[in-house]
Amino acid sequence: MPAQFGLARKALAILAGSMVLLAACAAPNKLLVLEWSGYEDPDFWTDFQTANPDSAVTFEIGSSDADVLGKMEAGSQADVFHFYTGWQQLIVDAGVAKEIDTSKLTNWDKVPDSFKELGQVDGKQYFVPWDWGFTSILYNTDEVAGVDSWDVLFDPAYAGHISMWDDGPAAVTVSSYIHGWDETAITDAQLAQAEQEWKDQKDLNFHYWTDEYADLCPDVESGDIWIAYAWQGCYADRLYAEQAVAYANPVEGRNSWVGMYGINADTANYDLALEFLDMKLATLTCGNLPTLFYYGCVNQEVMDAIDDPVLVEAFGIDDPSILESTNFTPPVTDAQREAWTEMWANVKAD
Amino acid sequence: MTARTRRIRRGAIGVGNTRLPLGPAYAVLLLFLYLPIVLLAIFSFSANTSLSFPLKGFSLEWYGRAFGDAALLAAARNSLVVATVAGTIATALGFAVSMAVLRFRFAGRRLLLALAAAPLVVPFVVLGVALFLLFNLLGVPRSLLTVALGHSVVALPYATLILLSRIIGLDPALEDAAMDLGASYPTTLRRVILPLVGPSLLSAWLTSFIVSFDEVALANFLAGGDPTFPVFLYGQLRFAGRIPVLIAMAVLLMTGTIILTLIANRLRSRHA
Amino acid sequence: MLGRRGSLRFLAVPPFAWLILLFVAPLLLAILISFRGERGPIDFGSLLQLSTLQYAKVVDSPVWLRLLGISGVMALIVALGATMLAFPIAYFLAFRARHRAPIFLILLLVPAATSFLMRVMAWKLLLGSSGAINSFLLWTGLIQEPIGLLLYSQAAVVITLIYVWTPFAALPIYGALQRIDRSHLEAAADLGSGPWSRFWRVTIPLSLPGVLATFFMVFIPTVGEYVTPFLVGGTDGIMYGNLIQDFFTRAGNWPLGSALAVIMLVVTVALVGLALRVVNLRRAVA
Repeated sequence: MPAQFGLARKALAILAGSMVLLAACAAPNKLLVLEWSGYEDPDFWTDFQTANPDSAVTFEIGSSDADVLGKMEAGSQADVFHFYTGWQQLIVDAGVAKEIDTSKLTNWDKVPDSFKELGQVDGKQYFVPWDWGFTSILYNTDEVAGVDSWDVLFDPAYAGHISMWDDGPAAVTVSSYIHGWDETAITDAQLAQAEQEWKDQKDLNFHYWTDEYADLCPDVESGDIWIAYAWQGCYADRLYAEQAVAYANPVEGRNSWVGMYGINADTANYDLALEFLDMKLATLTCGNLPTLFYYGCVNQEVMDAIDDPVLVEAFGIDDPSILESTNFTPPVTDAQREAWTEMWANVKAD
Repeated sequence: MTARTRRIRRGAIGVGNTRLPLGPAYAVLLLFLYLPIVLLAIFSFSANTSLSFPLKGFSLEWYGRAFGDAALLAAARNSLVVATVAGTIATALGFAVSMAVLRFRFAGRRLLLALAAAPLVVPFVVLGVALFLLFNLLGVPRSLLTVALGHSVVALPYATLILLSRIIGLDPALEDAAMDLGASYPTTLRRVILPLVGPSLLSAWLTSFIVSFDEVALANFLAGGDPTFPVFLYGQLRFAGRIPVLIAMAVLLMTGTIILTLIANRLRSRHA
Repeated sequence: MLGRRGSLRFLAVPPFAWLILLFVAPLLLAILISFRGERGPIDFGSLLQLSTLQYAKVVDSPVWLRLLGISGVMALIVALGATMLAFPIAYFLAFRARHRAPIFLILLLVPAATSFLMRVMAWKLLLGSSGAINSFLLWTGLIQEPIGLLLYSQAAVVITLIYVWTPFAALPIYGALQRIDRSHLEAAADLGSGPWSRFWRVTIPLSLPGVLATFFMVFIPTVGEYVTPFLVGGTDGIMYGNLIQDFFTRAGNWPLGSALAVIMLVVTVALVGLALRVVNLRRAVA
């Protein structure tokens, strides 16, 4: 560059320098985890950190199961990724998961078989389950006498005080419970019916909630929301605050979801990733789930050791009949999921 | 001079004789802008663990915890660096575009202007995904640098528009005069034009900085392992107990921004 | 010594190169993706297998396009509101504050440097049905029931957007007003023109490029806005950008999201092109 551009050259040099610095911050990390927001907190991998103080663990954030799959399919460099029930087959079919060598997991025997099976596809263990919880209806007992069915979400008596989760597949699931449909085989006519019902339901909502602690729970606390499709996290939170709330056991049964981890098929850090997952199941790390997030952990020893009455109540630990009537999210095909999200887009745009 | 012209001359031209309460209008807007900030600042000094009234007493605990929180500080630092780089690139390119488009005639002149303004029309999430795929294709690992690159593109229209509005009113004769006196064009730019458009450069930079600092859609897709502050923020919201610490950090960052820009303004006016 | 002509390439080439690599290329990629038949892994071999399936889906869902129209109208209101509110502010900065304008400007912009999310959380505290404003109004007896539409409504979205945009909107107008040569106004005064007449016949026309720049700067991105509707819109205040966002992040359906985005792009560009033709901004820039 010509000499007269002296100042510009200096500025350029400084800029280039800082850009190199920025890029250097991206020095190859030992382990990259594609996680949901909140779980990158050290409390949720503390055992791994203690055992491997020199390993750097960094996190990419995924905002939904579809987003996680999308990023893995697009070639994310994440070694480990986290997603929830219903997506196992899709992930294996996309070829982004590597089989888990369970012989190397020291905490594997603490996981009940029912959870282990959820992480299996075609007989092979592809995923390590970790967190789980219920979905049911959280309601304010000062305003609502009792809830015994999922269809309370459609009850005009509570107009303006209902809140549904902003999620198409969840809406279809609720409709399938209410009408007794087979969730894995929803027909076009059933989907159209669900769409109309949810369109009619839209005005009954205070709003659609998207984040459990950022918008659902504060609005339950303030009394704006009386009835909500909710996970048990907010229920426990409200019980601790001694608010008069209850968590329904609808006749159709609660829903349950399980979160699980997979290892990237192209990972260069297989053993480290495996150790990371093993340490996730360890007592302290897994134990932080119920105590910090009010979510369940698959480590049965941890769950058996819970004696906090609020958590016992939130997880229904004392009442085995709850789990018996609980519906676990079945796997659905890509085409079904697409149809359901488009249905929800129609409802929202209406 | 007649009495009438004397009266007009005495007042500031343009507003001398109007009784419009412009100052109060500005003050009211400022009030509304700062109201939530003041509220946040109040809560950051209170002992409250959640954003609700009544206030439960004074406490510096949140600030103490904010300084001790390595992840929080790292995220804040990441955002500051990214926003600075993105802001600088956007301002420099915006200046280049404005000068090129307003002072020269060349093929593609209108195209350049359209391109510089075009990122406004594209939703950030679309650009984010597209850049994500592009970087994958080129084998560029995602990092704070890729975030800064993305942000420089989305901030460019703002910088360009601001500088364009200013430079369009600059008399080209100024440049001609300087060059007649023997200066090269780059020197003219540096010593004649830049000082004149100083305030607009500052507001262009500040706007670009702000656009980048709080941006979340692109950052979600383009960041690697190091989160920017808003990405970190969204993640921490799940922990209701951490909100006061986050508020304290947000207030700190804003105070820091005010101080820095006041200093920059001091320096600028000293060199004017 | 580098003259004018020679300097052109240093001014024009870097922005061109930057934009082509980091904007045009990804955009073309996004357009290509919108012509894919299915969601799913994007390997570059299959990029050229084109299909209009996504566009067919949009045509089959007129509610989505109607939402685009509604978003356009909301964006129009926001742009008009922000521009009108910003003008007196910019005027104040240019004519009253003058030398101290940079400080006033900084004061105006700094709140925007605070996390938008945190500011909205603070506003929710004030605007919610049990928030400070409603509590105060109920206490004074001015209203019997809390006002619901302050939050989680279309009105809340529009008001919030105008509120957020006004400081930025003042900038191009300020720039334009600042460069108005005082001698024009003095000349007008000398010729006997009164202050309002000077305002309408000198100031406003000369500030028009800034006003138009502001209007479009606010209007165009607001059509695709999604964060504000997401935070304060509730079920009514949803905008087209939320659809795009949902399809990208919740459904992982990049082709459909891209198709929706391309449609919005085409419509916005067409509208702006039309508007520019009417206003003939080109003459000001040429």
